[in-house]
Amino acid sequence: MSPPSFARALLFVVAGESWAECVAGDLEEEFGLICQSRNHFAGARWYVWQVVRSVVPLIWIRMRSGEFRQAALAALLGAAVPLVMLDRLWSFVYSQVPLKDGIGRAPSLLAVNVAAVCVGSAITGTAQSSGKAAWTTALALAAAAGIAVWASAGGAPVLYAVWVVAAAPASSLIAFRWRRNR
Amino acid sequence: MKWVVRIVGGLLLLNLLGVGVLFLMGHRAGAGRIHASAEMTGSPEQVWPWLNEGEKLKQWISWLVEVRGFDSKAGLGKKGVWVMKDENNGGTLMEIEGTCIDYAPPSLLTLQLSSGGEFDGKQSYRLTNLGSGRTRLDADSSYHFASAFARLMEPVISAAAEKKLAGDVARLKSLVESKATAAVR
Repeated sequence: MSPPSFARALLFVVAGESWAECVAGDLEEEFGLICQSRNHFAGARWYVWQVVRSVVPLIWIRMRSGEFRQAALAALLGAAVPLVMLDRLWSFVYSQVPLKDGIGRAPSLLAVNVAAVCVGSAITGTAQSSGKAAWTTALALAAAAGIAVWASAGGAPVLYAVWVVAAAPASSLIAFRWRRNR
Repeated sequence: MKWVVRIVGGLLLLNLLGVGVLFLMGHRAGAGRIHASAEMTGSPEQVWPWLNEGEKLKQWISWLVEVRGFDSKAGLGKKGVWVMKDENNGGTLMEIEGTCIDYAPPSLLTLQLSSGGEFDGKQSYRLTNLGSGRTRLDADSSYHFASAFARLMEPVISAAAEKKLAGDVARLKSLVESKATAAVR
């Protein structure tokens, strides 16, 4: 019997290389005992809850150790900075329309945003040294892209927001795999 | 930190590419000119007041909040101010000074526009009687931007301005046709 894969993946992404093995080992041992004494559902529920309540402390530990700072910096440079700068640029463009215009953006400009995020994220992906680091950076990129879209002055249709938040980590992971396979 | 250099370098490269494309596009034929047109039900005499009277202009030109100084109607040589709300600049109000340089009711109205060192240009409305109670409106604009960065961004600004103008003209068509229908009833 193995613990729920999504919770295990979340643990590895959040805990990072230095902590994931030992935390996962302890949790899986306890998970096995609960499964034996009760049932698999109870064990899975316990495992998921342990992972969820560990997310914030593990992120804090990684931030203090400096391991998470690299992912945060990559997310900032790869997704947040390009999106914020483009948002300011489009605000300037629309402000220069002689008879002015609203905050809704043309689809072509939103496509440029998505393309810039894909390129920035892909570059961060090629710089990752391991699969776990790549996943951590991908998660940070998604969060940074989401925050940048939320904070943008221009309008952000739902489809565009979904595209940006999905494209950032996807580009980073694809670029990481491409570089590893070369 | 090699990857930081890669990201920053990649973004700079993208910027340079964008600047090059914009520079080339800025030298295309018809740069800075925008056009929109619509055919509508209603005679030129019915459409003309919508181009000429401040209160009517505010109903179809989006973000126009006030028209001052045209003494309710434009006329050759008259000067006035259009006050626009700039949603992309924190909702600040911006004044555009206008002078009427072509005035031939009910077929041609041209305004010379300028705004505090940001841009100057012309906005022209031409009405053509198509017969059978229909009119064609051609709205043409040409602008020159004062700042070098705005001139570089002109292809993007003009595209946004043309989309905005098309939306305004569509709103005018809808207003004119609703009034024309009401008049017939």
